[in-house]
Amino acid sequence: MATVQVSEAEKVYVMHGVRDDLRVDGRGCEDYRHMEIETDVVSNTDGSAKVSLGHTDILVGIKAEIGKPRPMVPDEGYLEFFVDCSANATPEFEGRGGEELGVELSNTLYKVFNNRHSLDLRSLCICPGEHCWVLYVDVLLLQCDGNLFDAMSIAIKAALFNTRIPKVHISEDEEGVKEIELSDDPYDCMRLNVENVPCIVTLCKIAHRHVVDATLQEKACSVASLLISVTHKGMVTCVRKLGRGSLDPDSIFEMTETGKRVGKALHAPLMELLQKEESLGKKRQKVGFLA
Amino acid sequence: MLKSKTFVKKTRAGGVMKVVREHYLRDDIWCGSEVCTECKDGAPVLQQDARVESDLCAYPHYLIPDTNVVLHQIDILEDPLIRNVIILQTVLQEVRHRSPPVYKRIKDATHEKEKHFYTFTNEHHRQTFIEREQGESINDRNDRAIRVAAKWYTEHLNKAPSVGELKVVLLTNDRANRDKAEQNGLLAYRCEEYIKSLTGNPELVDRLALTSDDQNEITGSKLLFPEHLPLSRIQAGIKSGTFLQGTFRASRDNYLEATVFVQREGDDSTEVLLQGLQNLNRAVHQDVVAVELFPKEQWVAPSSVVLQDDRPSDKETEEEEAEKKVSKSSRLLKPTGRVVGIIKRNWRPFCGMLNQSQIKEATRHLFTPADRRIPRIRIETRQASTLVGQRIIVAIDGWPRNSRYPNGHFVRNLGGAGDKDTETEVLLLEHDVPHQPFSQAVLSFLPKMPWGITEEDLKVRADLRHLCVCSVDPPGCTDIDDALHCRELENGNLEVGVHIADVSHFIRPGNALDQEAASRGTTVYLCGKRIDMVPELLSSNLCSLRSNVERLAFSCIWEMNHKAEILNTRFTKSIINSKASLTYAEAQMRIDDASMNDDITKSLRGLNTLAKILKGQRIAKGALTLSSPEVRFHMDSETHDPIDLQTKELKDTNSMVEEFMLLANISVAQKIYEEFSECALLRKHPAPPPSNYDILIKAAKSRELEIRIDSAKALADSLNEAVLEDFPYFNTLLRILATRCMMQAVYFCSGMDSDFHHYGLASPIYTHFTSPIRRYSDIIVHRLLAVAINADSTYPDLMDKHKQSSLCNNLNYRHKMAQYAQRASVAFHTQLFFKNKGILNEEGFILFVRKNAIIILIPKFGLEGTVFFENNDKPGPRLNFDSEGPTLTVEDQHTFHIFDRVKVTISLDASNIQHQKIRMALVEPVAPFFQIPGVSVALPEPEPEAKKLKLDR
Repeated sequence: MATVQVSEAEKVYVMHGVRDDLRVDGRGCEDYRHMEIETDVVSNTDGSAKVSLGHTDILVGIKAEIGKPRPMVPDEGYLEFFVDCSANATPEFEGRGGEELGVELSNTLYKVFNNRHSLDLRSLCICPGEHCWVLYVDVLLLQCDGNLFDAMSIAIKAALFNTRIPKVHISEDEEGVKEIELSDDPYDCMRLNVENVPCIVTLCKIAHRHVVDATLQEKACSVASLLISVTHKGMVTCVRKLGRGSLDPDSIFEMTETGKRVGKALHAPLMELLQKEESLGKKRQKVGFLA
Repeated sequence: MLKSKTFVKKTRAGGVMKVVREHYLRDDIWCGSEVCTECKDGAPVLQQDARVESDLCAYPHYLIPDTNVVLHQIDILEDPLIRNVIILQTVLQEVRHRSPPVYKRIKDATHEKEKHFYTFTNEHHRQTFIEREQGESINDRNDRAIRVAAKWYTEHLNKAPSVGELKVVLLTNDRANRDKAEQNGLLAYRCEEYIKSLTGNPELVDRLALTSDDQNEITGSKLLFPEHLPLSRIQAGIKSGTFLQGTFRASRDNYLEATVFVQREGDDSTEVLLQGLQNLNRAVHQDVVAVELFPKEQWVAPSSVVLQDDRPSDKETEEEEAEKKVSKSSRLLKPTGRVVGIIKRNWRPFCGMLNQSQIKEATRHLFTPADRRIPRIRIETRQASTLVGQRIIVAIDGWPRNSRYPNGHFVRNLGGAGDKDTETEVLLLEHDVPHQPFSQAVLSFLPKMPWGITEEDLKVRADLRHLCVCSVDPPGCTDIDDALHCRELENGNLEVGVHIADVSHFIRPGNALDQEAASRGTTVYLCGKRIDMVPELLSSNLCSLRSNVERLAFSCIWEMNHKAEILNTRFTKSIINSKASLTYAEAQMRIDDASMNDDITKSLRGLNTLAKILKGQRIAKGALTLSSPEVRFHMDSETHDPIDLQTKELKDTNSMVEEFMLLANISVAQKIYEEFSECALLRKHPAPPPSNYDILIKAAKSRELEIRIDSAKALADSLNEAVLEDFPYFNTLLRILATRCMMQAVYFCSGMDSDFHHYGLASPIYTHFTSPIRRYSDIIVHRLLAVAINADSTYPDLMDKHKQSSLCNNLNYRHKMAQYAQRASVAFHTQLFFKNKGILNEEGFILFVRKNAIIILIPKFGLEGTVFFENNDKPGPRLNFDSEGPTLTVEDQHTFHIFDRVKVTISLDASNIQHQKIRMALVEPVAPFFQIPGVSVALPEPEPEAKKLKLDR
């Protein structure tokens, strides 16, 4: 991942700032940077969103395809994640350079969504045991400026909110041969309930305190971070520790509490924003990538 | 401005795919009217004074038809009277989607300058583009788009200063659409309403297609036919195997019988027999239908009765329902079924004649198509009296369940029946032969005259001008595509060259000339007329290998020893200078005349000797020599009427040329297949299934002879042995029958098939290389060979086996149609001939014995006719048919066997101008029952199974 070189003096400066709840860019320890969200940016996906957090830029596209349900859960659909680290983000990703990070990110996403609460997978079932919707969630890193996880989870939530899956129904003829029929009205589609989709809050331990939404510079001053995925009700679906350093139990507990608080606070304005954007309908001027 | 169009579609694998297309909207699409000053259109199409004599729209107006009006009333729109029409892009796209032929016609109409048709691309106009709304069906959206465009036109034109009374009129038959349009303040009329208001031209009403509203009045409400299933049920049924999909082929001889040819996956295909009007269920020849098979107990055998729907009037009697049940000889039972639905109609405009209704002043008449496989069509016209005796074109509009006949409308009058030009036009139209003059676009790709051989050509081609090349062709041939030479080499071997006109040098891939030639596929030879595949400049001049001019050629040169064994084969593009263009007879004379010893004659003699050896080898391998009666007319040079008729004679030199052409074709086939195993265009002739030979074996058995059919060789040998001392023509008759047992030879792409064998020629591989002037297949083969020898560059379509394969399908179709057209032309000229000759007595042979008729061949004229023993008016004689023989015993007095010698009188039955017939009546054996009046009928209509193998190789 993109890293910056930080001198000892800078480190001390950053750490002292955090201690006083005043970070280099003027934020408090629990503040996010300026965030921009736009949905429906890629027309040939079923749902898409672009999120920029500071200079971190992430595009998420969701494609719905018909597949076979997993044998253990015949009445559920499933999600597939793929994270592509574009060489646009940083030259280090060139060739296969981004692969390791991409796998790590997508594995984390599998863990975050690996529970019954975040998304109603049953609604993705078309015909138990035979057909279900598979949502391919493709994440593209366009620019890295720290805190990829949080930005990614917000973009995924926004993209899932934006996803419209064409309505299908199964017709059966006399011989019992089932056939999928598609409505010819493009407006006839299914929406997903994204209320419980978690957001990831990454907390970065700097000296004795922890900060959310760490910049690259701040990250360089920290030895370990804690990743918490939180639903809007404050339920934690996944916790991971990142980085080489260790965390003592007390501070883990403290960080979890902060994560829950920040996460809950993050969901409400996000949903509000998404609803507001949708209510603009077709009149909304699309910004896209030219912003 | 950019919009994207999004829609979801189902993929073949069962998945669902979202498709997004970019759609650009523009501000610079002009309205195309002379009135408008706002649009910067340089040459506006729509006239300022768009006035038509109408009591509905007395003001000048532009018409905007909706999709259904264009689809159903295209014949009206094509009338020169209808001008100043705005065709919206929405309409055009829908039409294209629903009916390609109508699309082509409306496109042609828009290209005509006098019609003032303007295509308005409303889908790309910023102000007329609309997006589909939630809950709106695609049809509603298109209707709305049409209304929005009409509205835009109305407002747009009103802004023009000199608009005057000019208005825009929307034509739609959809009531909801019309109501909505009127609410929007538009002028909207039904098409019928508008056409009927055209006071100046009442005859236009005849050409209105009948829409469903009118049908009720026409026929009684009694339902005659079972309902067709909806497409979704049909598709489900086909998938599950309860229904079969196939092409409907009506029987030529019996209007109550048809077969459906079902092509299943793999090569497994079956034919389903359909009998009775109910089971045919309104399917028309060539429709794609879904059929349901009956259980095995209900299977029947095809009847051998000849039945024509000849009832004079429109009476809806049910006599035909009392179908002639066929004795169930279980051996002949075929899968039988019924039509449950129509998948795709293949209606085209049909040529034929009007049967005037017996009631005077009636406006509904029956129309009898020229093609007997097409049912009669009911049309409505007020000009019946003028149309009687004329050849007319009629289009089918629909076939309601309660109508015995389909409903249609009059399209065009071709001219008087029996008139030579009219009849030629009819047979060209009926056989779908493209025969319009070449368009400017096509002609623009012709080489500029004067044309000469350039330095460039000399550099890349072998200069063979010094060789003593000559061509041998039928008399009067102007498109000479092959020439030959033969000379002795220093090492004692012989060098033989076949030089073929290098047409592919002039026709470059992909241009308009090439596309036109590909679409025509072949030159069609009619009696006294030739419909060229390529423009005359090429066919009769630049590509024709005439004598004493320098011509480009593609040469195939072998080194052979005196046993005609090929030692070495070479292909090269070349320049030749033919020393002589001979006819077969002239060439034969030179060979036979011992006093002639010039180079040409020596060359010919060499060729002839080799050809005989080659032919011997070929026959030893099992090549078939088949026969079909071919006639040639001697035309009066002034009137072009036939004055004499004789069967073609074959000379040694015919087979000499043929032999070398075969050799060249085989050599080329090997070469191109070697180079391009996936995309070589080859020709195959599949071995016929043994059941095809039944009739031949039976026929031979009747004379105690045996025909062996286990291989081509066995067949050829047994045919050779089948000679009767007292009956010299017998062998020829057998060979004629054998020809009819054969399959059709077809072009195919080597990558799409595994069986290459040519049965008739007993060659493992074959193609067509030697007639590029008159066959498109040869042009492709030339291109392939040129690439193979690095003489030319390739292009993507040449190497695409799927494109190649669809090209082959077109070529096969065109070839078949050309043959039918050719035979129909011969038939027509035979009629003309007998018209001038009066009544003739001739000797003939029974070729087939049917249940109620015998089919007689007159060898002298190559004429085939049917003698019926049944008559509609009178009870016929007692007939006893034995399908084993097959024999037919009449009144227990006389038994007809196949090949019996009979005498008949031939005359032209011109009493009924609608259907001129060659009348054949038996003279010998004489019996009272043969004198039934009207034992007549039938031109030798082209029989699909009859193949002219000679021409067809």
